[in-house]
Amino acid sequence: MIRMKDTGFRGKEGLAQQKTKEDATDMTLFVRTSGEEILEWDKKRIYDALTRETDISDDAASIIAREVEKMVLNLEISNITAPLLRELTNAKLIEYGLENIRRQHTRLGVPIYDAREIIVSHNKENANVPHGPEATNLTLAENIKKEYALMEVFSPEVADAHMRGDIHLHDLGMVDRPYCSGQSIEYVKKFGLNLPNALSIARPAKHPEVLIEHVVKFSAALQGHFAGAIGWDAFNTFLAPYLVGLDERRVKQLAQILVYEFAQQAVARGGQSIFSDLNLYWECPKHFENVEAIGPGGQYTGKTYADYMPEARGFLNALVDVYMEGDAQGRPFFFPKPNVHITDKFFKEEGSEEFLLHLSRLAADKGNTYFVFDRGDTAKISECCRLAFQLRPSDLEDAKQPWKMRYSAMQNVTINLPRVAYDAGGDESKLFETIYDRIELAAKAHLQKKKFISHLLGLGKRGPLSLLAMETDGEPYYRLHRASFLLGMLGLNEMVQSHTGEEMHESEDAYMFGLKTIAFMRKATVDMEDIYGIHMPLEQTPAESTAYRMAKLDMKYYPMQSSAVMKGNRATGEIYYTNSTYMNVSAPISAIERVKKDGKFHPLIEAGALSHIWLGESKPPAESIANFVKKTFRHTQNAQIAFSPEFTSCLVCGRTYRGLKDVCENCASAVLPGVTPIKNKER
Amino acid sequence: MFEIKGFIETSLIDWDGMITAVIFLPRCNLACPMCHNYGLVKNPEKYESAPFEKIECYLKANRDFIDGVVVTGGEPTIYKHLPELCKKLKDLGMLVKLDTNGTMPDIIEKLYSEGLIDYVAMDVKTSLEQDKYDLVCGIEGVDLDGIKRTIDFLLHSGIDYEFRTTVVPTIMELGDVVKAASCIAGAKKYVIQQFKPENAWDKRLKGVRPYFAKELLGAAEECRKYVGTVAVRGI
Repeated sequence: MIRMKDTGFRGKEGLAQQKTKEDATDMTLFVRTSGEEILEWDKKRIYDALTRETDISDDAASIIAREVEKMVLNLEISNITAPLLRELTNAKLIEYGLENIRRQHTRLGVPIYDAREIIVSHNKENANVPHGPEATNLTLAENIKKEYALMEVFSPEVADAHMRGDIHLHDLGMVDRPYCSGQSIEYVKKFGLNLPNALSIARPAKHPEVLIEHVVKFSAALQGHFAGAIGWDAFNTFLAPYLVGLDERRVKQLAQILVYEFAQQAVARGGQSIFSDLNLYWECPKHFENVEAIGPGGQYTGKTYADYMPEARGFLNALVDVYMEGDAQGRPFFFPKPNVHITDKFFKEEGSEEFLLHLSRLAADKGNTYFVFDRGDTAKISECCRLAFQLRPSDLEDAKQPWKMRYSAMQNVTINLPRVAYDAGGDESKLFETIYDRIELAAKAHLQKKKFISHLLGLGKRGPLSLLAMETDGEPYYRLHRASFLLGMLGLNEMVQSHTGEEMHESEDAYMFGLKTIAFMRKATVDMEDIYGIHMPLEQTPAESTAYRMAKLDMKYYPMQSSAVMKGNRATGEIYYTNSTYMNVSAPISAIERVKKDGKFHPLIEAGALSHIWLGESKPPAESIANFVKKTFRHTQNAQIAFSPEFTSCLVCGRTYRGLKDVCENCASAVLPGVTPIKNKER
Repeated sequence: MFEIKGFIETSLIDWDGMITAVIFLPRCNLACPMCHNYGLVKNPEKYESAPFEKIECYLKANRDFIDGVVVTGGEPTIYKHLPELCKKLKDLGMLVKLDTNGTMPDIIEKLYSEGLIDYVAMDVKTSLEQDKYDLVCGIEGVDLDGIKRTIDFLLHSGIDYEFRTTVVPTIMELGDVVKAASCIAGAKKYVIQQFKPENAWDKRLKGVRPYFAKELLGAAEECRKYVGTVAVRGI
């Protein structure tokens, strides 16, 4: 590159000279643009960008462009990158007091150091993301979208509260998608695989393996349009009409296809597993008993779903067998998660005792089973945004067209509860006022996200969310009017500890104060529903990364108060707050007391709550697990339990064993503990 | 009376099918090198006692979950007051399971005849040969007659029970497990338990590699010649 010649004269004439290119050899400053071009210097491009992108006046744009040129030509450089030029222009805008224009003209992106780290090093933030070119694409894109969200989707008030750590807006890197969704495979059965922008369209499946492939592909498509979980309602019930007359071996293979196809989707774009839930029933759910069944080819079979119980059960048993075997090395499958619904009806059904043992054996051995408790006449139809279905006459009407049963949570916002206690400084009324204010702020964040997504959906077929806007059944796939807006909470235990001096397991008073807080939050969300018209159920925020982020911010801004209650290891920086409404994970309380005490929170937490029972090395007999499950159903209000076992993986051959082992039975190498299932959703 | 030296509030692994709490009583008349509760045998005074009132309070509050209480040790049957403890537990509506080495048949018979126990898990430490038994129990002259009496009692009294053997390489062989099973021929249930070297009393056992799961499963298969239900625990 030729160095720019110092003309020794940088007045107006020089600029005129340059503009008219009277002396091209004199003017050899080149700009490396983001469009992969190298262009000769032209200050008009600055003017054009300013007038195109911002509300600046023509005069002001001319002045800024001229001033930037002056600055640049003073530099001993022969080329300059467009991003640097843009920032120099921004600096000039600040100099001239045009802060608002600067915001509009700002640039998003990452420093080269960050880009190198992301491309070359492993992503430490999310354990579910493997390291690969697709995964790093995702990370880079998310970084930019996150900045975009905070600058443009959310108001400064909301964005600042997120950055300070008062609240946490989940999945900002996926701000252009709703949060999670739960739906029915009836849609795929009825309409086939007919997605916007697809090169080919498939008619409704005639064979079970084709249907399974359709569902997995559709899940992958949905994963590209939602930030979090993709849940399928009553999966085995709806699959059943395709299984008539198949022998056990075939059914088992179908179950295997389903699990492996879901589990191995991490090879797909973005390098991420589909966070998938399968909702499963031993009985025919009451609301589907009299619903006309759709079978091969998307045609009604003339029977109801109650008529397909043998097939539905056969598949469910086969599915449990597949989970029990684990993968080729004996490792448990993390996805799809089997959520088995336990209801009053369950216990009255033929064979349910034996099936419960089967499930319990799986829980003890691999830990996969999530026992979801639907007491009375409720049915949780979607596990992630877990909307309770009250089975009112209107709901039963809806259930007659199960493909309509598509639900979603638009967004999840979590309140940093310990910080509320620090801000309140022991004043109880101030504490509740602050919680209320933060909830209202979360509601505003929800409205802003809703507005943004509505805008994208409104672009219809040509918009980025064309898949969610498709109207195959007469209404958009994404049913905005049924969307809920989640409110999560983090560190209730530390909030209580900071405010009362005791953790929730340490005294009945402290525990009651925790309950009172969540009841207050529940009530406040109902207020928000009245004021802002959005359904805002509480959810147990599961993300460990949020717990870490907020803990870190509080150690910075509230070092005195937060040190007193912080969990984890401060020396290594591995600090956290206790998840959601949980009691201290290391509290010396029995599993029974835990499910009971956790359970009292659950009726208040409409959109999803769960208790973990840590098994560690021990492997209880199935009968004892089943006993515990039954008692939890009958004697507590707990909404969902899962058992967490411990595993050992051989570092040499990869074989995985239940429990802790010192020596590998397969290759006789010394082994090291490797796997413990990740039970918490990482979002 | 005696002191309770340990209490586990909830256990899913000490009585198949039951949700239990576990009471530990100190001291033992044997000194098995693989014992993993040897602290209770060797230095019971180092352990804080658990007041029964507290246990009672917990059991009452969680009666809706807890089916029964496992009384273990040490060796619970060395206490002549054991029936009083079991009575208190029965009065709370609890089923009672006794873990024992079977050396004290009289008290076991008494507990059963008074309706104070519902289940017995008895260790058959190895094949019933004096020198082998002494080696595994860590003392000279184990009362094999007493042990045989207890086995006989369990087999014929009508009480629910299981026999069990922890398989410790170096002080016994897989063949001894099968021989032990032959000594309880006709029993309802026999459990082969995996050895955990890290918790053993005799530090020399720490480096011992336990039998592989497949080896224990093979032994279990052979034991089925003598006993209807044979299970392997801890693999």
